[in-house]
Amino acid sequence: MKPFALIYLFAFSVMMLFASCEKIISLDLKTAEPVVVIEGYVTDQDEVQTVKISKTYSFAEPNKLNGVSGAQVILTNGNTSIPFVETAPGIYQSVLFAGLPGEKYTLEVVFEGKTYTASSAMPQKVPIESLTYKKLSFFGSEKTYPVITYQDPAGTQNQYHYVVTLNNIEIKFNSVEEDRFNDGNKVENIIFYALDDLKSGDQIDIEFQTIDRNVFKYFFALSQINGNGGPPVAPSNPVSNFTNGALGVFSAYSTQKKTFIKQ
Amino acid sequence: MTYIRKHLVLLLLSISFQTIQAQTKFTLNGTIKDNQSGESLIGATVKLIGKTPSGASSNAYGFYSLNAEFGDYDLIVSYIGYKTLHQSISMNKDIRLDLALYADNNLEEVVVTSVKKNENVVNAQMGVEKVNVKEISSVPVLFGERDILKTLQLLPGIKSAGEGNSGFYVRGGSTDQNLILLDEAPVYNASHLFGFFSTFNSDAIKDVTVYKGGMPSQYGGRLSSVLDIKMNEGNRKEYTAEGGIGLISSRLKLEGPIVKDKSSFMISARRTYADSFLAFSPDSNLNNNTLYFYDLNAKTNYQLNDKNTLFLSGYFGRDKLALHKAFGFNWGNATATLRWNHLYNNRLFSNTSLIYSNYNYVIESFLESNEFKVNSSIKDANLKQDFQYSAGTHALKFGLNAIHHTISPGKISAGSTSSVNQTTIQNRKGLELAAYISDEWAVNDKLNLIYGVRLNDFSLLGPGEFKTLDIDGNTVSSKNYTSTAIVKSYFIAEPRVSASYQVNVSASIKASYTRNSQNIHLMSNSTSTSPTDLYIMNSNNVKPEIADQLAAGYFRNFNNDTYEFSAEIYYKWMQNQIEYRSGTDLRGNQNVEADLLFGKGRAYGMELFLKKRFGKFNGWVGYTLSKTERKFDALNEGNWFFAKQDRTHDISLVGIYKAGKRWTISSTFVYNTGSAVTFPSGKYQINNQSVFYYGTKNGYRMPTYHRMDLAATLEVKPGKKFQSSWSFSVYNVYNRQNAFSIDFKDDLDDHTKTQIIRTTLFGIIPSITWNFKF
Repeated sequence: MKPFALIYLFAFSVMMLFASCEKIISLDLKTAEPVVVIEGYVTDQDEVQTVKISKTYSFAEPNKLNGVSGAQVILTNGNTSIPFVETAPGIYQSVLFAGLPGEKYTLEVVFEGKTYTASSAMPQKVPIESLTYKKLSFFGSEKTYPVITYQDPAGTQNQYHYVVTLNNIEIKFNSVEEDRFNDGNKVENIIFYALDDLKSGDQIDIEFQTIDRNVFKYFFALSQINGNGGPPVAPSNPVSNFTNGALGVFSAYSTQKKTFIKQ
Repeated sequence: MTYIRKHLVLLLLSISFQTIQAQTKFTLNGTIKDNQSGESLIGATVKLIGKTPSGASSNAYGFYSLNAEFGDYDLIVSYIGYKTLHQSISMNKDIRLDLALYADNNLEEVVVTSVKKNENVVNAQMGVEKVNVKEISSVPVLFGERDILKTLQLLPGIKSAGEGNSGFYVRGGSTDQNLILLDEAPVYNASHLFGFFSTFNSDAIKDVTVYKGGMPSQYGGRLSSVLDIKMNEGNRKEYTAEGGIGLISSRLKLEGPIVKDKSSFMISARRTYADSFLAFSPDSNLNNNTLYFYDLNAKTNYQLNDKNTLFLSGYFGRDKLALHKAFGFNWGNATATLRWNHLYNNRLFSNTSLIYSNYNYVIESFLESNEFKVNSSIKDANLKQDFQYSAGTHALKFGLNAIHHTISPGKISAGSTSSVNQTTIQNRKGLELAAYISDEWAVNDKLNLIYGVRLNDFSLLGPGEFKTLDIDGNTVSSKNYTSTAIVKSYFIAEPRVSASYQVNVSASIKASYTRNSQNIHLMSNSTSTSPTDLYIMNSNNVKPEIADQLAAGYFRNFNNDTYEFSAEIYYKWMQNQIEYRSGTDLRGNQNVEADLLFGKGRAYGMELFLKKRFGKFNGWVGYTLSKTERKFDALNEGNWFFAKQDRTHDISLVGIYKAGKRWTISSTFVYNTGSAVTFPSGKYQINNQSVFYYGTKNGYRMPTYHRMDLAATLEVKPGKKFQSSWSFSVYNVYNRQNAFSIDFKDDLDDHTKTQIIRTTLFGIIPSITWNFKF
């Protein structure tokens, strides 16, 4: 909920008034037995849909997709099933197709003798009305925040996921929103990712996904651990919609894009 | 069932009365006061030496009562920091004797304890710590702000909830398991500014007692500890003023008689002024912000006659934050206590209290098209009736308590142009009824017993819709109740037993068993507490938290009571403890209970304490070795895991040196094992960014915490009517970079790397405060 997010931003800026310093340190972290991670998406765009399958790896290693080969991946929707083919290690892709809002999709992954399944229902599209920005200052540092406006459909529970890029660089930020406090209203949402002052010609792009409840909960739990929009909670693995102990998420979502260019 | 309970209470009362043998003894009773201010003295010792020696200490209102057979006696009244009073007295009838003690200014002690010299050895009570407000005046503190709650954290068994935080953990309990009473009124959020300062302005505080175990039966409602804080009553003889100017805040206290020797008042205020500095800033980003808190304590009393006294006390404190044209946020406590002390006869003392307590917060957003206001509160109306009856070797305490809670979790109001909808989360009401009785029995010269029971009945009241959930948090059934309906009731009997056996004049062994229960629970899944954390009550799904504690200890004084040593061990079992499902959003949550998990806990440890009580140099060393664990079916694969408050080793050193007439120098050192935390045990990628894999819950440790503080106080012109002093203090003398938090993030410049970032809150911080009194 935005209002609460504001308060925590403010509270943290108060704390930072006292805070003396941040320092990069090194810690000796354990490495747990590798666990299977599945990240699958089906969108309403006519495109190649992708499922990534990997395993967890040591914290000390460079960041990568620790992809695994040899998995069988099948997407089903009613009586239709679409196989996914491995195109690179850990990357499994379908033929071109567009998912349909209102349809339920089930992803089944068979890997190393275990079967992992997850279902997701693709919500109806909600149009973006505008994309702009707002300036807010917290104790001396003025920051720019993207602002998105849309009309939330009344009477249904809606969840949104934003993917924001600034000058074509993706901002590393899992921002999700729900309509718990503004169901059916015209919503002007401030996306709490602080940007530096925008210069003329700067471009903000937003991908606005409508997602189902479980996917929202997954991304919300992720953002909570990072303290986005609230005080950080004691970390734990977000609840995945996959069965059989796999990490990750499967999301069938409808999406659209909007661009803002500073004049 | 209620019928049975009622009779059980009566039965208990009558049994206890019958055990007291009525003898032809005369009673000596009265009050003990400070000669200069007329303030009653709590815990002063009264002794009759003669044919049938007896002794007693004054209660929370300065009242004492003891019995002796016909004859001549020597009366000795003592209280540390005061000159001992000797007087001959003939016990040939019941006598009412009000006593006044003179402060002893020649004593070279700085640390004063409000107990008699070997009280710690003799008394059956264990797990108790007393802090005199004078004591904390010379201990170094953050930003020069004296703080009772932070000084308490220097005692064994009491641990800080975090850097600069006034929240505390007692014997493995969480911060909400402490019963914090200010003149008997429960205080729900005892901190300002996100925990950096406590709500207790030490100018207004007279006496602080904390119970870590063996809680007396008159206290109930929380699992881990009782912090009983009493405010000053006000000088009955003359007007005085006291205050201070510091870096963060200024304080002023006024007190004096309303009717000399009969009635007095005390009013004390404190306000911080960080925002006043901001206002001078030319930067409009800074000077438009609001950030301050204030406290107001007031108390008045009126002695109607020597049998009746009335007290009225109140506290009002608030934090305010605001960002110009964007939003406002304020929160605070208000409490009011009206008390009536009545002496029925020489032996029966009664206190009746009517208490009101309210904690609330208000959030306002003024952002265009996002305007709204959130109101949330918890209100208590509380009626207490306490009796004290003394008869020979027995001192009986019994009473009744009724608390009515009203919790308004959140009401969101918004204008028609706002995108926020009006919502109200249903209010919840509950009634806690308790009856208690306890007897302090001096069985013989060596054996002292305190035994009793507290009976607790909690009812969740209508109106509203109440759900019954299954183990996964899914709704099984839902029912609407009217405002007169009882939704759910819980009854718990809490036995409390303590015994001490005096091995010799200066040594004793003690043991106790205590059961405590808690019907109201703080919801907080973040790593720190926040003013918006909610309380919920027991319900169809949430059961009362229960703790059973066994403790044993050895108490020994050395060198004519100059040194006090104690060793206590404890083991505590906890039931119905609360944790949260992953991804729980507690903010504005209509169905919080669906996100809760229930499990059990255990805590055990050893506390060592050595204190030098008198002399130019005094202070103490405390060491705690402890373990605190939790077990939840749905967490950590059902295995035991460390609670976040677990810290294996905890050491506190406090030294105070009186260097001549004008200077007092003090230092504290703390060292503790880092708290138990969950760090990554691997990583993977989602959305092309690193996500961390977590193994064992709380399987890692924060880095070891240690810190040294220094303080020096200079009395400007001792002995004059107008007294003033300068306090200089340095927090974190050697600038230790203690970790406040450790975060894991992808490197923004090199996406192939993950960084570990340590945030330190307070490095070395010097401060200065000027205090005055006239």
